Amino acid sequence: MVAILEKHSLRDFDWLTTVLAVAIACFGVWQIYNAVPTASIWSKQIIGLSIAIFAFLVVAFTDYRRIIEAAPIFYGFGLLLLFLVLTPLGVEVNGQKAWLWLPVVGQFQPSEFAKIPTVLMLAKYFGDRKPVPLRFKELLIGGAILAGPVGLIMLEPDAGQAITYFPLLIAILFLSAVKVRYIVATLLAAAILIPTSYYIGVQSGVIKQYQRQRIEAIINPEAVDPRGFGYHTIQSMITVGKGGLAGIQGDTETSQSVLKFLPEPQTDFIFAVTAEHTGFIGCVSLLLAYALLLSRLIAGAREANDRAGMLVIMSIAAGLAFQIFMNIGMTLGILPVIGVPLPLMSAGLSAMLATFIAIGFVVSIKMRRFVN
Amino acid sequence: MKLHEQSQNLGLRIVTIQVVAFLLLAVLGVRLYYLQIVRGEHFQERAENQRIRLIPIPAPRGAIFDRNGNILVDSRPTFNVVISKEPLKTIDTDERIPQYSRGLSLEPQVVTERLNAINKQTDFETLILKDNASMQDIAWVEAHSLEYPELRVELQPQRFYPHGKYMAHILGYVGEISPKQLESERWAGLRPGDIIGKGGLEEYYDEFLRGRPGYRKVIVDSRGRIQSEIEVVPPQAGQDMVSTIDLDVQMAAERQIENSASKRGTILAMDSRNGEMLAMASQPSFDPNIFVQGSKTREGRKQIAEYWQDEERPLYNRAIQGRYPPGSTWKIPMSVGGFQSGVMTESSNAFACGGGIQIGSKFTKCMGNHGTPTLIPAISRSCNGYYYRLGLKMEIEGIIDMIETFEYDQRTGIDLPNEKIGQTPKSWRPIVEKREGRWPDIRTVYASIGQDTVVVTPISLLRTISAVGMFGRMYVPHFLKEFRPIVGTEHFDERPGFGFQRPEPKIIEMTPGQQKMIAQGMADAVTGGTARVVNIPGFDVAAKTGTAQDGDPKAGRKDHAWIVTYAPAFNPEIAVIGLIENVGFGGTHAGPAVKGVYEAYLAKKNPQPAEPTEVAKR
Repeated sequence: MVAILEKHSLRDFDWLTTVLAVAIACFGVWQIYNAVPTASIWSKQIIGLSIAIFAFLVVAFTDYRRIIEAAPIFYGFGLLLLFLVLTPLGVEVNGQKAWLWLPVVGQFQPSEFAKIPTVLMLAKYFGDRKPVPLRFKELLIGGAILAGPVGLIMLEPDAGQAITYFPLLIAILFLSAVKVRYIVATLLAAAILIPTSYYIGVQSGVIKQYQRQRIEAIINPEAVDPRGFGYHTIQSMITVGKGGLAGIQGDTETSQSVLKFLPEPQTDFIFAVTAEHTGFIGCVSLLLAYALLLSRLIAGAREANDRAGMLVIMSIAAGLAFQIFMNIGMTLGILPVIGVPLPLMSAGLSAMLATFIAIGFVVSIKMRRFVN
Repeated sequence: MKLHEQSQNLGLRIVTIQVVAFLLLAVLGVRLYYLQIVRGEHFQERAENQRIRLIPIPAPRGAIFDRNGNILVDSRPTFNVVISKEPLKTIDTDERIPQYSRGLSLEPQVVTERLNAINKQTDFETLILKDNASMQDIAWVEAHSLEYPELRVELQPQRFYPHGKYMAHILGYVGEISPKQLESERWAGLRPGDIIGKGGLEEYYDEFLRGRPGYRKVIVDSRGRIQSEIEVVPPQAGQDMVSTIDLDVQMAAERQIENSASKRGTILAMDSRNGEMLAMASQPSFDPNIFVQGSKTREGRKQIAEYWQDEERPLYNRAIQGRYPPGSTWKIPMSVGGFQSGVMTESSNAFACGGGIQIGSKFTKCMGNHGTPTLIPAISRSCNGYYYRLGLKMEIEGIIDMIETFEYDQRTGIDLPNEKIGQTPKSWRPIVEKREGRWPDIRTVYASIGQDTVVVTPISLLRTISAVGMFGRMYVPHFLKEFRPIVGTEHFDERPGFGFQRPEPKIIEMTPGQQKMIAQGMADAVTGGTARVVNIPGFDVAAKTGTAQDGDPKAGRKDHAWIVTYAPAFNPEIAVIGLIENVGFGGTHAGPAVKGVYEAYLAKKNPQPAEPTEVAKR
């Protein structure tokens, strides 16, 4: 182990990806401070970041192939945690049972962590197969792997988290030679089915009033109940727009989050805080940092030693990209308000830990690209 | 690519995912550019608008004093429960109505009205939900500050009328500006909830009495709670008004009506030399404090409704809004008219009494048989027959000329709102001629003694009597002596002091001889005629009594008792008139009332030496 470390580890360790991830997380701590300067959330986030970096290093220096071998165990463990959330061990916050309290460990959000075993399980299954066009049976099995955690999360219910699981599978299917005509057919079906099912959902009452308002608030935030969900969208847009080119300089006492106009500033709307305080310059820099990080991950995928490693990285990258887009899109008023944290930025130990563990896998895979 | 899977275009598929990811990020970048660069200023403004609030600081209203510096109207501190606008946007107001109503003991309907009003105003943040809050109300608001952060307690000076129902008609009261007034030009720039004068001097001089509100510019959070203060502009108080009222004379007049048989009537006293009103009592009256405090409580509303419904009409100022037949007091302006029309002269002014007059088939009686008196005894003994013949000789045109001379066809110009104009043959003539084809002589006969087609306001009669004593100098009666100046501040201009802009008196033409005869007639009425009851040794009062029929005699209402006076008879300084409704003969009922006012006036003018014991105390 020590020999391995000395030989290629330090040489092949992906310093740039690591520094980039840590830098974004530190930037996030600063924004959490801006969001709620009086509370100690930002200092908790620093502790969380330290724990996350430690976990990241452990994962990065572990051979990912052994972990992928053990994927079914992790997957089963992940499902168990998600199930426990639904038992009296689960903690209910705002009508959602998304949290689990365990002795010693404390309180955490299993739906964040369960993404990793899900990715590993998918990568293990699709990594072993021959490079021939995807068969229908394989597609069904992939769907079944995803259905486990997604189903349990929907029971919490936490639709926002559940949605973030889909890109994990979609990326893997796409890279597992799913036929282009299937993709086209799926896109067409989605174009027809989503509005239709939305309509049916509204009519039948499956889609609840609050969900409908969130969606309609995007189309016209001023018209749809400006006190309710439209209010969040409007306030988020005001906060972002107020930042202007370079952000509010110094005038932090009257910021949107300090005056409590912006809801959930340290978690779901952390990007609005960033926009208010650092302006267009800061926001574009952050987007570029994310783009660079994603590029590094995808470059790692290209160099991966085996198919399973490549799928793990791409699945993680797709998941991150999707979550970034969902969160910032919501903040900028182009997507409905869905409680999805911004990776590496939003306050919360679970998400931070899960993201760093995922990136740890990427680094581990890249580090072993020359090993056979 | 190590995996050698070109058959599946793996490389292309990875690139596709990368491109899609970058495209999504680019969409976000474009949207950011739109929100922050294109629309940045718009959102900055919106953010500012939602965090900056102006909280008005009410300005104290100017006080009103009598001519000797006694306070007639003042302000005292009270507490208001106010409601902020911004937090209301995020709460269900319908739910709050029963809660506020219970907590602050308000009618739900009042709460609803308040909440509707706040939605209409744009500039300011708060509206008064309940004024004159009790200690319980304040405690309730404080105890529920977490539940109802939109409520706050604020100090507010409130108008206080220490003399209650006395002078209520002169002073008026204050209240919130009405929606209709908000639209009028006079109140331009005021906002819902602003306090303005309603009735009396409060209304007439509102723009001077009213202060200019200051404001606090504050930063609030999303629930409307104040975070910090950016700027404070202190209010500028309204100007203090010194009125011409003499509180002692006024209170004497009030008591005289209270002690009268019907307790209804009006007594007015004016300085003959300049038109300054010393007293104006009108009863029954109302308590203006009820209007100030009570319009939002159940009891208060009930009391106000009672005022409006009361058949004795406490809300109306008999002195300027009441129109009464002047009866025999009308003989004074008729005498002047007789001279002016030339039907009588200083040397030739006798008319037969005849115990009355025959017009067609109807004989209209005089009270006695006075032979063929000259003017002086005709006045002092109040001979109707004399005036019947004088009036017929003047003809209705002559009487109308007299009415125009004494301006009974217009307002006196007193500085009070809602003054009424009397009705006279001038206004009746077109109607009568249309209805009856011509103006009948009998109406001229009645008009000669102030009945039938003649009803005038007491204030217009006061003006006439004073002018006759003053050798024809007819002043505009008024209450304003002086508005005191207010110094300017950084935010508000100086408000200079000023007095009443007294117009030149109208001169009623009469020769000194003519004037002296009328004055003599009125003086004789006191010393040996119908008005002996107002005889005051050492102070020569000139007076004329009147007993006026109230409507159709068959209705059975007692006559109105009148007396019009001025003094001293040949060097006047004060004119006092009195009217007591539905009590009977003028000399008997109105006379003592006016005498009481003179006594108060004289007590002030010639103070009695203090009792020795009181001197010792001092």
